Amino acid sequence: MRTRMGMACALSGLAIALVPTAASARPAASAASKSVITLSGSTSVAPLAVKLIKTYLRKNSGKVGFKLAQGGSDIGVADVAAGRVSIGDSSRDAKPSDPGGLVFHKIARDAICLATNPANKVGNLSQGQVQDIFSGKIRDWGQVPGATVGGPIDLVVRTPASGTQDAFQKLFLSSAKVFSSAAAKASNGLVAASVKTDKQAVGYLSYAFTSGLNDTAYQGVACNLRTAKAGQYPGSRNFWMVTRGAVSRRSAVGKFIGWVQNNAQAQKIISTEWVPLR
Amino acid sequence: MAVAAAPRERAALAEPSPSWRRGDKIAVGLCWAAGLLLCALAAAIVLYMGYKGLSLLRPELLWQRPQASADQSKTGGFLDPLIGTVVLTALGTAIALPLGVATAIWLSEFARPSWLARAVESGVEVIAGTPDIVLAIFGLVLFQQSFFAFLSLTAQGNAVFGRSFLTAGAMMALVALPFVVGSTREALQAVPRHVREASYALGKTRAATIRRVLLPACRPGIATGTVLGMGRIVGDTAIVVILLGASLQFSRVDGPPVMGDLRGTGSTLTSYVYNNSPAGEGNAPEKAYAAAFVLLLVVIGLNLAAGRLGRGRAKWKS
Amino acid sequence: MRSPWSDDRAERVLGAVASLVLITIAGMVVFVFAKAWPSFAHNGLGWFGPPGHGSVDDQLTNIFNSPADPRRYVYELGAWPLLWGTLLTTVGAVALGLAISVLAAVFLVEFAPGPIRRVMQPVVRLLAAVPSVIYGLIGILVLVPFVGNHLISLERKQSVLYVVQLSGSSLLVGVLILTVMIVPIMVAIMADALYAVPRTWTEGATALGVNRWRAMWTVSLRAARPAIIAATVLATARALGEAIMLSMVSGSQGFGPNPLDGLTFFLEPTRPLAATIVDNAEGLSVKPFGQTIYAFAAVLLVSTFFLSLGGWAAKQPLKRYGTAG
Repeated sequence: MRTRMGMACALSGLAIALVPTAASARPAASAASKSVITLSGSTSVAPLAVKLIKTYLRKNSGKVGFKLAQGGSDIGVADVAAGRVSIGDSSRDAKPSDPGGLVFHKIARDAICLATNPANKVGNLSQGQVQDIFSGKIRDWGQVPGATVGGPIDLVVRTPASGTQDAFQKLFLSSAKVFSSAAAKASNGLVAASVKTDKQAVGYLSYAFTSGLNDTAYQGVACNLRTAKAGQYPGSRNFWMVTRGAVSRRSAVGKFIGWVQNNAQAQKIISTEWVPLR
Repeated sequence: MAVAAAPRERAALAEPSPSWRRGDKIAVGLCWAAGLLLCALAAAIVLYMGYKGLSLLRPELLWQRPQASADQSKTGGFLDPLIGTVVLTALGTAIALPLGVATAIWLSEFARPSWLARAVESGVEVIAGTPDIVLAIFGLVLFQQSFFAFLSLTAQGNAVFGRSFLTAGAMMALVALPFVVGSTREALQAVPRHVREASYALGKTRAATIRRVLLPACRPGIATGTVLGMGRIVGDTAIVVILLGASLQFSRVDGPPVMGDLRGTGSTLTSYVYNNSPAGEGNAPEKAYAAAFVLLLVVIGLNLAAGRLGRGRAKWKS
Repeated sequence: MRSPWSDDRAERVLGAVASLVLITIAGMVVFVFAKAWPSFAHNGLGWFGPPGHGSVDDQLTNIFNSPADPRRYVYELGAWPLLWGTLLTTVGAVALGLAISVLAAVFLVEFAPGPIRRVMQPVVRLLAAVPSVIYGLIGILVLVPFVGNHLISLERKQSVLYVVQLSGSSLLVGVLILTVMIVPIMVAIMADALYAVPRTWTEGATALGVNRWRAMWTVSLRAARPAIIAATVLATARALGEAIMLSMVSGSQGFGPNPLDGLTFFLEPTRPLAATIVDNAEGLSVKPFGQTIYAFAAVLLVSTFFLSLGGWAAKQPLKRYGTAG
């Protein structure tokens, strides 16, 4: 009886342990140890990073592994500066307050779009209007020409760790400050969800997240990849992959970043929802 | 009975039925209201989850692997989170069971010196009362120390990642520990003294008595405690969100087959539901409902098992 | 045949395992307090006070953006809105839950007709096991939109516009769902205790002419007081530690609802301590920020400790009745 139970336990334990191995079903790593590249940081860069990593793995499986975390551009920069990750994703340019020794590699450009709920078909906002709305001077949709809903304006912004928030502040608001009662969301996805469910909401997010929302033109220029690539859209910003110190082209990280910046397939992936550099 | 109630007593003696004051009748009405409210809530939750789950759960979700994609139709199913739940629960229970049973036996049979016994008892109570989020952040920083690098992966740059099935399993063991200790102690204390004395009279040592007489008798109790602990592990989200690395699929760490997977990251049903709800990134409420339904079935199953095991307790005739 | 273990060896091994468990727990408590100390040291008693200028979230941002030089770390924090939010959700849920649970437990034990009782018992035990993320899912997909669309009118939004934005995620939804989470646990414990009261006691009361409700109230519930206290302590600990569900539904803003706002008070967002820890867990690696988060965890640990202490103290005078659990 006891041996039978023991056998049953051992077999079930073995089965449970082997299932994830079967589920992974990846070919065994070669004799050379696999390097793992960890990335963290911007939630705007994350969807691009996922697509690039998937394609890169298809050609280099077994030689390199990836781990992607998010958290916002500031967290990415802090993590890579402290050596906690190999690459930090950033959707804002280098700031003077960043830790020293960091190298920013530009990989793409992106457009920050203003978005409102689909029920609120505001066509265009000027810079003055954007500054007044987000700083709280204009608080009601009745004061915004072109708005098709009424009631108080619900501001949806990003948490301070966000690179998109940095870029928004620099490109759209310049000296104005975001109103203190604005709801701060931790990622583009959460901003999109808020704007989708709240009729009075207005927010800003990366172009890749704007499906299903009402895209508002800014200063008369529509927010899409064409205007961003042509340089007409004033709200364009850079995507960076940040490393601690220079990376040799022979290291795993160097090879990956080199591939992202130069490979034709990578550029094709970037051009789906972002602006490639070439 | 106070003097003021005396006239009532005489009236009550005159008629056999007890008298109801208005306040009492209101109280009974409130009792009925509370009871029916509870029933209605339970029914609402179960029926709503059942309805949503059955309408949104397609069989292929159970064996497709999740993919990251902005397009809902391409995000796949939740096979990896499902397996992740099983693996994490097995891991947590495997650690908690021996530790818990050993601690319970020591507390019940030996417990010397007494200050240590009281300290251990309080310690187990402290774990039982600690919020799981506190355990999670403690685990995160603890396992990011280089001493524990063997439990997870080390990224380029010598940073210990600290998140893996092993680290999450270790913290989950702490979550399940109080249940195992409590149930085992109860079961051990329910064994009458004369059984132990009979064993000693036959010349068996204490260790042998524990091993051959007490533990087999306590099996239902230990099993109940284990299953209760498993139920707690299955339902825990905070530890998973923080300590399991939140990668949709299993991502192995280089190494021998099983250890490589356990040192890697993954997800469980709970973190999958959280990520796909409007509070997370996935934004796929239908998948969240389907996974939540499966999670609910697992928890119900574990609960029924615990009840069934509890009923099989040995009855001792004194 | 293996040589059997001697008693001494068994005692030593088992004692070592038990001590290992104790050391792990003690280590955790010491670790949390050690990490949390700088945050308390820099702020003194002001840690528990209001945030001064700006909001708690602004202060957390400043801590997160501290310069890299350890001598210039920013620690300034006034965590009162978070503490107030924790107090409101916990006390609100436990008070509401206690009232409902006592009545429901009495109903289950005394007044429920047979079929209802047979259905209710397993159902209550089941509800106690439902994971919090499922409650959170139903809350965020059903209750939050309901409150947002039907209970929050434009005028109400206007009235607090200068201070906070109202969406469906609010104190009300948080307290309601938290109550639903803790009621089954309390009902299960209290019902067990009420069943354990000897029938001769209640029968004696009824024989003296007391109606069934009064018999319950004066005899059974009084006898079950230790269990009621234990259930309340357990439920309060659960409410204090609930992080995931509250971070999903109670509005992730470090705002302290203002009772002077009248009914809008219930619709204002808040974020208890545990939810704050979950929402900010990514920043743990930044040293001063991590220490602040550990300070929140330390407050939670101390609260649960005082809670158990309070429960133990409340049970002491009841020990003379002999039914103390």
